[in-house]
Amino acid sequence: MLIYTINRILHMIPVLFVLTVVVFMFIQLLPGDVIDTLIGDEEAEDPATRELLMKEYGLDKPIYVQYGVWIGKVLQGDFGKSLVTRRPVALELFESIPATVYLAVVGISISMLIAIPLGAIAAVKRNSPTDYTAQIVSLIGISIPEFWFAIMCVLFFSLYLGWLPSSGYMSPFEDLGQSLKYLILPAAAVGFRQAAYTTRLTRSSMLDEMNKEYVDTARSLGFSEKKVIYKYTLRNAMIPTITISGLQLANLLGGTVVLETIFAWPGIGQAIYLAIIDRDYPLIQAGILVLGVIVVIVNLLVDLLYRVLNPRVALN
Amino acid sequence: MSKENTENGVTEKQGQTRREFMTKTGAVAGAAALGMSGEANAAKKRHPKRGGTLRFATRSDSRGLDQHRNYYYYVSHPLAATSMGMFDVDLKMEPKPGIAVDHTVSKDLKTYTFKLRKGATFHDGSPIDAEAVKWNIGRIKDPKIGHSFIRSSIKDVESVDVIDSHTIKFNLDKPSGVLVASLTYYPVQFMSPNSVGNADNHPIGAGPFKFKSWKKYDRTVLERNENWWETDDQGNALPYLDKIVGFPKKEDRIRLTALRTGEVDLIENMAYTDAAGFDKKYGANFNTWDVPQVGTGYLGFNLKNGPFSYKNPNGKMMRQAAAHAINHEAIHQAIFSGLSETARGFYSKASTWHMPELERKYEYDPDKARFLLKKAGGMDERLVLTSRDAYAYMHQTGEIAHAMLTEAGFNIQHEIHPYAVLKSKWKKGEYSIDSTANSYRPDPDRWFSANVLSTSSNTKLRTGFNNPKADKLILEGKRTLDPAKRKEIYQEVEMIINDELPMIYTHFIPLTCAATKNLKGYEPAFNGPYSTHMSGIRTAWLG
Amino acid sequence: MSEIHLQGGQRKVGEIHIPTWQERYERVKDALIDAVQELYKSKTAFIGGMMLVVLAILLLLTPVLTDYDPTKPDYSAFLEPPSVEHIMGTDRYGRDIFSRVLWGGRRLVVIAIAAVVFGLSLGIPYGVLSGYYGGFADSVSMRVVDGLLAFPGILLYLLIVTLAREWHLEGFWNDLILVFALGFAFFPEVARLARGSVLIEKQKEYVEASLTIGEASLYIALRQILPNCMSPLIVNATVRLGFVILIIAALSFLGLGTPPPTPDWGADLSAARDHMESNPLIAIFPGLAICYTVLAFNLFGDGLRDIMDPRLSDR
Repeated sequence: MLIYTINRILHMIPVLFVLTVVVFMFIQLLPGDVIDTLIGDEEAEDPATRELLMKEYGLDKPIYVQYGVWIGKVLQGDFGKSLVTRRPVALELFESIPATVYLAVVGISISMLIAIPLGAIAAVKRNSPTDYTAQIVSLIGISIPEFWFAIMCVLFFSLYLGWLPSSGYMSPFEDLGQSLKYLILPAAAVGFRQAAYTTRLTRSSMLDEMNKEYVDTARSLGFSEKKVIYKYTLRNAMIPTITISGLQLANLLGGTVVLETIFAWPGIGQAIYLAIIDRDYPLIQAGILVLGVIVVIVNLLVDLLYRVLNPRVALN
Repeated sequence: MSKENTENGVTEKQGQTRREFMTKTGAVAGAAALGMSGEANAAKKRHPKRGGTLRFATRSDSRGLDQHRNYYYYVSHPLAATSMGMFDVDLKMEPKPGIAVDHTVSKDLKTYTFKLRKGATFHDGSPIDAEAVKWNIGRIKDPKIGHSFIRSSIKDVESVDVIDSHTIKFNLDKPSGVLVASLTYYPVQFMSPNSVGNADNHPIGAGPFKFKSWKKYDRTVLERNENWWETDDQGNALPYLDKIVGFPKKEDRIRLTALRTGEVDLIENMAYTDAAGFDKKYGANFNTWDVPQVGTGYLGFNLKNGPFSYKNPNGKMMRQAAAHAINHEAIHQAIFSGLSETARGFYSKASTWHMPELERKYEYDPDKARFLLKKAGGMDERLVLTSRDAYAYMHQTGEIAHAMLTEAGFNIQHEIHPYAVLKSKWKKGEYSIDSTANSYRPDPDRWFSANVLSTSSNTKLRTGFNNPKADKLILEGKRTLDPAKRKEIYQEVEMIINDELPMIYTHFIPLTCAATKNLKGYEPAFNGPYSTHMSGIRTAWLG
Repeated sequence: MSEIHLQGGQRKVGEIHIPTWQERYERVKDALIDAVQELYKSKTAFIGGMMLVVLAILLLLTPVLTDYDPTKPDYSAFLEPPSVEHIMGTDRYGRDIFSRVLWGGRRLVVIAIAAVVFGLSLGIPYGVLSGYYGGFADSVSMRVVDGLLAFPGILLYLLIVTLAREWHLEGFWNDLILVFALGFAFFPEVARLARGSVLIEKQKEYVEASLTIGEASLYIALRQILPNCMSPLIVNATVRLGFVILIIAALSFLGLGTPPPTPDWGADLSAARDHMESNPLIAIFPGLAICYTVLAFNLFGDGLRDIMDPRLSDR
């Protein structure tokens, strides 16, 4: 187990290397550059000024040198300065990543709260109207464009019913109650979509478990049906659900751009997206790298958790 | 400096010792300093009932905090309330005293001497004196720092001399009668020289509100500047509001919903489809305003290369064909939901420079368009219509113009790009028509000198228009002081534009903002809600 | 499933059988009949399949069904409600929404299929070869895949599409780039999946049998292992078709979708946000079209999974 873990951690290095190289390559290929967006077009572009700015931002060197310089600084914990706001990139990330993590974690929790009972019931009452309803609702959940679903939610819950604020963000450390109020709609929008996947997964792994021998054995030993299902089967069936939720969480970190834009949620997805448009290279690079690291770590943790929960995998 | 300005503007407002100055010939004689001392410290009292925290949802967020590097493009962004410049603007878009309370102009229009407000301070308490102004001008003029939009406003300023602590002289490299208009806040905004080290994190300006905090894409918090010099008619200190909290909410629908659910008190910029019927439906609970705007949409041609250009002997005929293809009324209805008006020149009715007699030389006539296009032999030329992605109306106008041109037989494709890409395309001349808009040019010189004058960098970058007669007129307009005379000159330039077609003016951009009935005393103005002399957010309060 | 395995094992040593056209025809026919019968077993797959057939018919008949050019505005008919002339009404430019929905669908479905096929054709050989050869080459190529998979969420799409859109591309080429971008972003997942299946298949006897008779290893990899690991890929690809359509919609929302006036459900739905309160009908049709199509692909894919996964076959 320890060796496996160390091995996996070592594997992260080339993965992150590939990630950063790909980002660098893409950025290099983007037409138009940050100097253009910073200078504007009212004054003639003085080539000397341009050169100075390029130099100040370190953009005058060949791409591999830029990469080397950048990676060297990152290893020392220096992400550089945003070219647009001119504030340290670390600060920009520190401001935006928690908001996204907050949204993603609560969203995933909501999805599990919906999906596990729903999936279990659907499996137990297989081919009943309950099962079909659960399946269809969950399928519809992933068939609606995200932005549309989110806007409809706002119009219904905040404009029509007046229950929740339409948009905005407040840190939970500032005022937890208020913060949760702002969180509910976006987190539910995240949760509902993710629940669609998770419900289906729970249902099928539940069915898998219910066909296993131990269930019959337990039944023959006289355990009540409820106990068999909820104590043994569901517990085992939850292993893949938890695994997938972990992977979804990792994926959500960069996947909430659309929801962040709609709900005016100051997260990292929106920040990177706007940085791409503004050509704010250091922010794009650092943002994707940090998210990549989180994704890789979450994947690793999920993997380890899976091995702990399911010792057979470790033997293979 | 226009005559109106000196007569009614700068001097009249003060209600103290003053000397009017003007000459019949248009050359301006010197005027003396005014007794403005003590003005800033006049017995000021807080209005007992007016105050509150304004929650304001804007469409965009600022890109940064440094006042010289950023021009708070979306003037309604709360950060604009923290800064101040030499002159204010009133509701009629006329310059009013700001940091400068009076000025004199030399006969040759090359030297301006400004008297600065005594006792005025930046938010950190340091005095706004001649040295500070000089330092600010110097920093703005540094091409590595000053944003080109700000820098270009004072590009004629060659040097600045400090006469005494509150008198400063601007020396121009060529004669200009429009320096005061160019110095109106914004964009030439000043910051405390002491704060330069922290300008990207905590701007220290001189505006009616003080910077408190800014979290990108989340919120901006500002506090009342207790030492602001302006007072209302009864001598109560302005601004009334205690605090402004700004929220960027990009989605039109969400911003409107936030207003309707009472999460914010004021929003800028409604989607036109909503704005058109809003007052009728919700007028009982909300106030709406059509913000007086000088923003004009246009289709700019590439005259540097390609089929519309000077290089094509039939280029003008091609442009005429395109002009005949554009159905302005359809744009008015489809894009702008019938709000505002179609444009024949740059200046809308909100401006004193509006020219109602201007005519469109080439009216909508698709048959004629087809005929001219055929005659010019441009049926097979592959053209590109580019649109800016920033505002929906820009690419929507592009979209409908694309359809109109296609119908007239043009072989054209439509592309929507962000600014960075557009600029690289302009540089390389990789476009034929560009659907865009321009704004914040209260004085016509700011528009014509920047976008029509052949030597201007913007003209060179974009249309590449080159018309000696127009150039001559524009330079003449800059030297002329009599506004009636200037208007004639610029009208002539507009006629040249409508004939030569470096661009087709399409529409005056409407802007609708709305607030809850709680917001009192607010009146929007062209220059954004904060920078209006004795109006706008400065006189607003929540009741 | 298991029959296919046997085929591989039963092949006679040293004899290459070339099937005649007749045999091929029979084989395809049998496979089709089997497929329909199998489909019928799973209700979801059947419903999804029927929805897809309806969609295919509508899209194939688009030129017959529509009278209006989807890109041509009508200045006298802005925002018309549904009527006999315009069954779904007109949009803000007076364009017929029905035409836009159908023509847009044709384009979108083709793009989705092409993107998925592109992703498969890139990912499958990559994954299969990597898994089959193993060793250092496998390590390196899988690190590349992991690196791409570590791109959080839709940021990889964002980067690729931003890049693609800003090149000087038009009409068909723009679509092609979209295909490339969406397909490329799908590729790491496919490669992963294909490699995983290969690793399992490699353990099975028939591969060893082939190895012992000395067949060329590449031949084994492609000809024998590949068909046996197709089923998870097919399921994945079907669900992916729906996903791609949603991604295009999300990109349109962010302003990176298809440039107008090309009809596109995502772009049209996105543009209809302006009218959500003043004219909600405009949004409903492209919205429904997306939901219907994605739901159909999802149902079909879900059903396929039930059918193809032998463990689930008895359900």
